[in-house]
Amino acid sequence: MSTPSPTNSSQGLSVRPGAGSNLPPPPARNRAFGSTLQLLALCPLLAVSDTVVKALGFSVLVLVIFPLATLLFSGVRRWLDDAIVLPASLLVTAGLVTAAELFMRAWFHDLGAWFGVFLPLLAVNIVVIDHIQTSDLDRRTALIRSVRIALGIALTLIALGLARELVGRGSLLSGAATLFGSWGERLEIKVFSVDMGFLLAMLPPGAFISLGLLIAARNWWRGRNQRVI
Amino acid sequence: MATPADKRHIAVPTATLAIIAAVLTVGLVTFANLTRDRIARNQQVWIKQHLDALVPPQSYDNDPLVDTTEVTAPDLLGTTTPVTAYRMRKAGLPVAVAIRSIAPDGYRGPLELLVAIAPGGQLLGVQVIRHDETPGLGDAFENRDAGWLDKFRGLSLTKPPQQRWTVRRDGGDFDAFTGATITPRAIVKAVRRTLEFYQGNEDRLYRDGQPR
Repeated sequence: MSTPSPTNSSQGLSVRPGAGSNLPPPPARNRAFGSTLQLLALCPLLAVSDTVVKALGFSVLVLVIFPLATLLFSGVRRWLDDAIVLPASLLVTAGLVTAAELFMRAWFHDLGAWFGVFLPLLAVNIVVIDHIQTSDLDRRTALIRSVRIALGIALTLIALGLARELVGRGSLLSGAATLFGSWGERLEIKVFSVDMGFLLAMLPPGAFISLGLLIAARNWWRGRNQRVI
Repeated sequence: MATPADKRHIAVPTATLAIIAAVLTVGLVTFANLTRDRIARNQQVWIKQHLDALVPPQSYDNDPLVDTTEVTAPDLLGTTTPVTAYRMRKAGLPVAVAIRSIAPDGYRGPLELLVAIAPGGQLLGVQVIRHDETPGLGDAFENRDAGWLDKFRGLSLTKPPQQRWTVRRDGGDFDAFTGATITPRAIVKAVRRTLEFYQGNEDRLYRDGQPR
């Protein structure tokens, strides 16, 4: 059997070694835990997926911080004793996330206020994922992998943001001014008018339900494709 | 006894961690310095917007963002940490004080309010400047029931009388929003307490820390 079955494929939510990928398969010991841990690591991020604008803003941060953390860390990795790899990576990512928080407060004040505690929490996610996925790879491979994981997280967040905002508020891109400046107000779309909206979609359980549906859709899609091939 | 190899085994990783921490600290301090002014300005713009919604800027001639005082009253202002009060004056005479008091018993944590009070203890208005209430229910004062906070304007400790200074469900004069009682109850209570604090501290609020 050459194709991995959907249940134990290594890359979790979003990134999978597609046809023509030149990435080596991750070490076997990581396969079983990788996808579960990635899923768990994603959970705190779900809080910022209730509107498209929040999801977009956070995605940009993930796309910048995650590869940057990998790059910085693989730079210092060879100087590090095995015993301090974890605290050192925690230090580096915490530092990056703190800088990102200052950046948000300086240039995207309102959007940053919405992120609240979830921006600092991103440090934990990155450390967890980084530790499983890239601890024994060379710099280039590690970087490519972290970009792909970050892209996966970003796409997941945006998909959730679209679904939750549309169902929960009947709008898209509400609050766009906080991300794009004052001209962003023109981007807001009112798809349909609701008094209270479908509240469940806006609340945290809605995030988990949406994520579950998203994963189900992905598994269904993957299973179908494999049957065709 | 620790051999030299053991010592090295401990000293080197410790030193490495210390160096990483030091480099990060320097980087972060530099970045914090670069962004400090901008962040402070953002905070000022943010609070000024809320102030302007409560007290028309042309009614005073000082800078309330500079003319501030810190007050602490855990029982009445809802927090053990000092709370900022912004003072507005015209030709040196008091026009209004806006107190950043806390409603500690919101549905999902404390709400931060900005309560503007005219000399004599009449409410000029109330703004909710920070909250974590349930979207679509407890945050109704933002969109769905946007006029709700306006009803505070003109009220005082005696209007309505004390026993009616609560939400309708508790026998008071204030409507709750559809589907949420806890949030309006918390806000009403906090506003009432802020007024009580003001009554006992009016002189001090205008006088304290005044630039000479």
